Amino acid sequence: MIEIRNVTKSYDKIKAVDNVSVTIKENTVFGLIGTNGAGKSTVLRMLAGVLEPEQGEIAIDGLPVFDNMEAKKNIYFIADEPYFFANSNAVDMQKYLCSIYPEFAVEDFYNYLVNFGLDKKRKINTYSKGMKKQLALICGVCSNAKYLLCDETFDGLDPVMRQGIKSIFASEMERRGMTPVIASHNLRELEDICDHVGLLHKGGVLLSKDLEDMKCNIQKVQCVFKTIEDEAKVISALDIMKNEKRGSLNVLTVRGNKAEIHAIFATVNTIFFEALPLSLEEIFISETEVVGYDIKKLILG
Amino acid sequence: MTSKSSFLVSMKENNKRRLWVWIISALAFMLALPALAALTLNTISRQYQWVAENYGSTVAGQIIHEKLVNSMCGILGLNVGFVFLTAAIALLSAVQGFSYLYSRKKIDFYMGMPVKRKKRFLVIWINGILLYFLPYLAGLVITMLIAAGNGAMDKTVLQSAVAALLANVLLYLGVYHMAILAVMLTGNIVVTGFAFLTFCLYEFMLRVVAEGYKEIFFKYYTYFGSDRTPKLSPFSMYYRLAETFSYLNRMDVKYLIELLVFAVITGAVSYFCYLKRPAEAAGRAMTFEITKPFVKILLVIPAALLMGAVISDVINFNPEESMDGIGWMIFAMTLTVIIGSALIQVIYEFDIKGCLHKKSHIVINAVCVALIFIAFRYDLFGYDGYIPKQNQIKSIAFVPDYYGEAYGGTYFDGEGGYMSSKQYARKYMYLGNIEEICDMAERSMEEYDKIDWYEKDALTDELGTWAYMTIIYRLQNGREVNRCLWVNLDDAQTVKALDQIIGSEEFKKGFSMGASDTLSAMIDNKDGKYKVGTSYGNMIYQQKMSDAQAKEFLEIYRKDLALVNFSNVRDNAPVGTLSFDILEELSGSIYMGMNGSVSRATRGWNLRLYIYPFFEDSIAYLKEHGYYMDVQADLEDIAKIQIINYNSEIARELQEERSTSVGAAGIVTDDPAVLLELGASEEDYDYDIDTRVYADYVEEEQLKEIVQYIYPYDLIVDDWDHGKKLDRDYEVVIYFKTDSEMTKDFGTNAMYGFLEGQVPDFVKEDTVYKE
Repeated sequence: MIEIRNVTKSYDKIKAVDNVSVTIKENTVFGLIGTNGAGKSTVLRMLAGVLEPEQGEIAIDGLPVFDNMEAKKNIYFIADEPYFFANSNAVDMQKYLCSIYPEFAVEDFYNYLVNFGLDKKRKINTYSKGMKKQLALICGVCSNAKYLLCDETFDGLDPVMRQGIKSIFASEMERRGMTPVIASHNLRELEDICDHVGLLHKGGVLLSKDLEDMKCNIQKVQCVFKTIEDEAKVISALDIMKNEKRGSLNVLTVRGNKAEIHAIFATVNTIFFEALPLSLEEIFISETEVVGYDIKKLILG
Repeated sequence: MTSKSSFLVSMKENNKRRLWVWIISALAFMLALPALAALTLNTISRQYQWVAENYGSTVAGQIIHEKLVNSMCGILGLNVGFVFLTAAIALLSAVQGFSYLYSRKKIDFYMGMPVKRKKRFLVIWINGILLYFLPYLAGLVITMLIAAGNGAMDKTVLQSAVAALLANVLLYLGVYHMAILAVMLTGNIVVTGFAFLTFCLYEFMLRVVAEGYKEIFFKYYTYFGSDRTPKLSPFSMYYRLAETFSYLNRMDVKYLIELLVFAVITGAVSYFCYLKRPAEAAGRAMTFEITKPFVKILLVIPAALLMGAVISDVINFNPEESMDGIGWMIFAMTLTVIIGSALIQVIYEFDIKGCLHKKSHIVINAVCVALIFIAFRYDLFGYDGYIPKQNQIKSIAFVPDYYGEAYGGTYFDGEGGYMSSKQYARKYMYLGNIEEICDMAERSMEEYDKIDWYEKDALTDELGTWAYMTIIYRLQNGREVNRCLWVNLDDAQTVKALDQIIGSEEFKKGFSMGASDTLSAMIDNKDGKYKVGTSYGNMIYQQKMSDAQAKEFLEIYRKDLALVNFSNVRDNAPVGTLSFDILEELSGSIYMGMNGSVSRATRGWNLRLYIYPFFEDSIAYLKEHGYYMDVQADLEDIAKIQIINYNSEIARELQEERSTSVGAAGIVTDDPAVLLELGASEEDYDYDIDTRVYADYVEEEQLKEIVQYIYPYDLIVDDWDHGKKLDRDYEVVIYFKTDSEMTKDFGTNAMYGFLEGQVPDFVKEDTVYKE
């Protein structure tokens, strides 16, 4: 488990991270969301032991992380612009990482390279940006580190690759309890990966919740009411966040748990009723509104 | 705990990233050692046949061997080339090794890895040393094998090579740590370069500034040549080490320790900075915010003062004469403060707009510069007139400038080349008559300060005869204070004091080589390494003395030396000199000179001791052994004496008349350069005015009379004491007879002169200028 307690970090008297407290459970995919300059990279760099917090504590499985070998050997950090040695190829990187991570999975590494279509002999500086990110992810996964810290790593990956990475994450989480922590400024990039999400804004944490918990408190349904009276009755009974009407079809985003909402709909006649999956964006809209922020301005632009 | 194998693996991985530095280092050492050695040995070996033809095969073998050995000592030993090579590799290695600290990408990668910071530093640091040491060692071994294969290897070469290896490695460590420190304090390679340069030159700049301002504002400031040489630079430490090695042929442990301590301290400081260095400093100009204002202040203040000093030099600013020009100095300093502060701020922020930021720093710098300038200008710390309290002084060295000629003129102590009279006195003169010197210093300064030297109507003759000297006060607390002093030689009290000081045995011990133990040791030659040639003469006529006579005569000379004081040396012209030519053979080496001459490698010193007319015992000895000359030339040898009278006074008058007539009134000099400088145009100076009058004398009677008054030109020197001088208006040229021994030994003619006031009347009459 990663525990971040009241951590603060400033650059040139500007607070990049201000009194942040987050707990990241093992075997979950943690998404760290925030606008540019929200402090995501700073949090990740502190988690990786690159930066030393001015205040507060960061503990990886109970151990302080900064310059602590025991804690850091459980971490692999992929920066927003991953670094590879000049004129090196994938083999060189593997050899280096083997000297650092004794449990580096060499066989898996080469298998992944083949699966992702990366030439192990080709110089990395000739790779595309996306290929470099893939290689960085493969390096991170094969390091067998428990915590994989990814800073904007999914930015620029095509959907097929994202799916591939997602499945690798799933298998690694299942196999050895890997815990990816993914920072991104784009909600849509994380919605199909994360289990738990932390929202950073202006160096502070707006919220940190399990996606499932958040999903339980908000529902999206589409329905066609038989009568206008039925429609009015349901709308007055529900805590509606958003109501889009396309002809006779109502698309409602409603606060409340699933059973309660279904019970309300059961009291009226509907021609058509369907519960829709909620996007992370929609969940965030509702959650941040609770704490008084307009998420659209923060993340969605 | 880090296992040994993981450490080695880390070193190996680190070296993979530093391959190009290894290649450069190896290439540099291969060129500087084996390649250069092979080339040199080949060149020397090819000379064998020529040497054998000219000197015979036995000597040729020895000559070539010695030459090969010497060349190997030169290549493998301490040399300037290695200083550059060492510094370049040290800088390259430090910057390349820790360059990841400049880049956020690299920092994220390396510092995200589970590697202790301490271990990473150690790996890079050790590899940085190895990439100098291993190519050096490899080059050294290969060169030695090449040398051995060519018969150019012996104990001397091995000794030189080992000494150089030790010194170069220590120099490397010093420079390497200095460069690492520069990297640790900065976040950008260009700024690191500036920082490294600043480390190398900062102390020198401070010394130049301090010396410059003391020279400008303090009339009693004096310095030794070494004052500008930095004490805390590894380069100057190496230089001192190399210098002593070249003379003593062994390492001076003191300097080795000095270099080692420097390397250890800079290493520790750079490691401390590494540990404290925040990762976010990558890409910034300075790593530690707190250092920014201090660095700016520490750079701008001396730079501004230096600029002020440069401008004062350009405009010939002399505060003793007038304060004209001080405005330019202040303007230059102000401008430097503003531009310097702004420029550094631009570098800090990497933004041209930064020049307008932190204006408070400009004010602080300006105030500091102003305070320092005022401190010098008004001598706020009482530097100029400082005379230590007598009870604080342990001993004094008193060095009259340009006075050494009367006591031999050259100084050495066998541990190096020649020394200056100040250096010699600093080492060997320990005067105990502190009260006498302090009183004289106080009195002279008081009197000197009263005189307005630049008053237009002041007549130089009325101001007195002032002479310059240096006093080194050695204080009880171990400090040394140097001041110069002007003393009035027309003042009876001063003359009395000088008689006592210069007449003392301690003064002679520290000022006259004739009284030194060094000379005795060289003449005694117990080690058998010195060859001393002694002769007596007047620089024209010289007669060799046997070693036994030389020893005997030196003892007598020393007794007479006890009679010397300020007045009697001033009032007498020397009658001759006892000359020593001392040669020391260096390790018995033979070498072949560029012109094909063959000789032993030696170093030598020359010493002349003046014999004065009041050296009665010495003169009696010289007479007894036939060395003494009653007059300075032998009539038997003289074919003709030609006397040239320049009639300078008449020339000056004529020139003055001419100058007045063309408008350059008031210029009273016959020197065309001075005339032109003072405002006369080139046309104003009349080159046709030639007042020289030549007179030739061949008659025996005339020659006999002239010979009584003449002295060799080189025997009488213009000394500090304003003693006997040659009348520079007259030149006396003696032409020797063609069959004379002098023509063979010396040349066809010799230059003489008359002492002032001793020109015979008939000569004056014969040579006076008539229009």
